[in-house]
Amino acid sequence: MPHTAEIKEIIDESPDTRTFRLRFRDADTADRFEFKAGQFAEYSAFGDGESTFCIASSPTQKDYIECSFKVYGKVTQSLRRLNKGDTIGIRGPYGNWFPLEEFKGKNLLFIAGGIGIAPVRCVINNVLDLRDEFKDITIIYGARSVSDLIYKQEIKEWKARRDIKTVITVDPGGETASWDGEVGFVPAVLEKNAPESENTVVILCGPPVMIKFTMPVLTGLGFKDEFVYTTLENRMKCGLGKCGRCNIGNVYVCKDGPVFTYAEIKKLPQEFNNFKFQIANYKLQIAFLKG
Amino acid sequence: MTQRSIQMDEKIISRVDLLNICQDVIEKGNTLLTPGVADYSVVKDVSNLNLDASALPSKISYKSYVFPRTEPVLYYKRSKNDVQLIDVNIDSKKIVILGAKPCDANSLNIMKHLFNWDYSDEFFNMRAKNFIVIGLMCSHFDEYCFCTSVGSSPVSEKGSDIFLIPLDENNYAMKIITDKGKEFITPYSGYLKSGDENRSKRITENVKQPDVAFDSSEVYKWLGENFESPKWEGVGNLCLSCAQCAFVCPVCHCFDITDEDYSYTEGRRMKNWDGCQFGNFTLHASGHNPRDIQSKRYRQRVNHKFRYYVNKFGEILCTGCGRCSRGCPVSVDIKEIVSNCKNDQKELR
Ligand code: SF4
Ligand code: SF4
Ligand code: FES
Repeated sequence: MPHTAEIKEIIDESPDTRTFRLRFRDADTADRFEFKAGQFAEYSAFGDGESTFCIASSPTQKDYIECSFKVYGKVTQSLRRLNKGDTIGIRGPYGNWFPLEEFKGKNLLFIAGGIGIAPVRCVINNVLDLRDEFKDITIIYGARSVSDLIYKQEIKEWKARRDIKTVITVDPGGETASWDGEVGFVPAVLEKNAPESENTVVILCGPPVMIKFTMPVLTGLGFKDEFVYTTLENRMKCGLGKCGRCNIGNVYVCKDGPVFTYAEIKKLPQEFNNFKFQIANYKLQIAFLKG
Repeated sequence: MTQRSIQMDEKIISRVDLLNICQDVIEKGNTLLTPGVADYSVVKDVSNLNLDASALPSKISYKSYVFPRTEPVLYYKRSKNDVQLIDVNIDSKKIVILGAKPCDANSLNIMKHLFNWDYSDEFFNMRAKNFIVIGLMCSHFDEYCFCTSVGSSPVSEKGSDIFLIPLDENNYAMKIITDKGKEFITPYSGYLKSGDENRSKRITENVKQPDVAFDSSEVYKWLGENFESPKWEGVGNLCLSCAQCAFVCPVCHCFDITDEDYSYTEGRRMKNWDGCQFGNFTLHASGHNPRDIQSKRYRQRVNHKFRYYVNKFGEILCTGCGRCSRGCPVSVDIKEIVSNCKNDQKELR
């Protein structure tokens, strides 16, 4: 049974991505609802169904929870039609989380692409609230174009902080005249800006194709697969390990994931990385841009 | 579900008395199911009830009585800004299944692992708890049956609460297998005569059994080593992605969740059967599909049944009933496929 929640705030992050700030209708539920960074929930637009997104706000934020979604299909379109004050359903939290306890005393490198910034942002804000417990923090975030960047306000705040290094990049061609960040694909930008791999944990989220091209760069820089954490965003329905949708090999992503280290992912049947088409596309793009 | 076996002598029951029990079950307001040609169906009148051990398995198992094709999981009512949610009452009448095929009888036992790991599915459990499975030895077999390859047999009592073996035209040997079976039959003890194990044994020993077509542990091993085998392409090219096989399967359990409005303000959330053979089963909103071609989907089907489920729950997700192959519009035969996987000379098709 989902809980109902009121949409307190709507933030238009980019032309196709929206953030809801939500508060449970039931005060008890609001008090009791706890989650950890990386967990997800099922959000319903009653009449059109449910959709799965991570919880994008930090668990340290107790007054509300936030989710960010890109408008793709029926449910997200329906969610987009809702206004401030309307009600949505939430089931969760589901899945596992980033083991922040184990990250303490280490350097953190966040790498995010596209909507993959949502789970990463949750961890970043969680970590920033406990800043002293972690060493150096580097954030690398890339989007297709300047207007596709989300959490623009927070990015400004991250950039202004001296205790973290923030690098924002847009794909070539996506920059505007006034753009003062990097221009280039995430793997290339990473190569230039990566910290020492020694004692560093990587949190890497983004489209499969970005992960595919980022991993070799990380490996080349000396990062070990066991210390690269990512989330698998398989299609999910029930979140309860029943409906079979999210199953890869023995693993139910909704229960055993969504957070995995790259070492764990390598052991799964290689189903998620069938990128033939996307890779070809990506290579074409690069070739085209190189002239 | 208690499945602890209990020691109890074998009994004999006449056909007439068995029907008397059935009559009583119905009169008490419970549901009685027997296998028919298409489905297990509800019996209203016991007088023309015919228990035929040699019948072909019905097209669909009784899975739908515990895991319906479609069912509401909640109702909602929208008002201006708010939404009110209403729980469903799970109907859970006692259901007696008379004459379950041994390959069907074990299905709930296999599925219960999935419905109870981590989170317990109350829909499944409530109904399964109220099932009494009266299994009947099976003397049918055709080219599609392979129960003997997956650890069962036409005389297997696995999953039955009570098991019947036809002795002659008018009498059955009755074995009471579980506590639940005992509890069910106790009020009817007056109908039972004491039986003779040797007599029923002579019959079960002489039942024709399908030959063992494959060694499931070898299939398990092959699957682990051949995820990328080019052999998957053969069956991928043949299969139509219709998922008939998942729908008739007594143990496939995948489902979809959708909302259904029936007025501007009211509607319900439904849970519907689904299957991994459908092309859009794993399609992501972004358009990315990890199982974009049929060979990958068929590979998932075989792997889930003969490898992943074994890894996770220690049992093969298959009862050997052969329904998927009997009903497949393009004659994909899973028994042939898993039997051929190790044979380099043969394509998977
Ligand atoms: S194997 Fe046969 S029944 Fe199953 S999806 Fe393919 S064509 Fe349909
Ligand atoms: S074989 Fe396919 S449809 Fe059947 S339970 Fe497994 S994943 Fe679901
Ligand atoms: S989302 Fe249903 S099993 Fe994982």
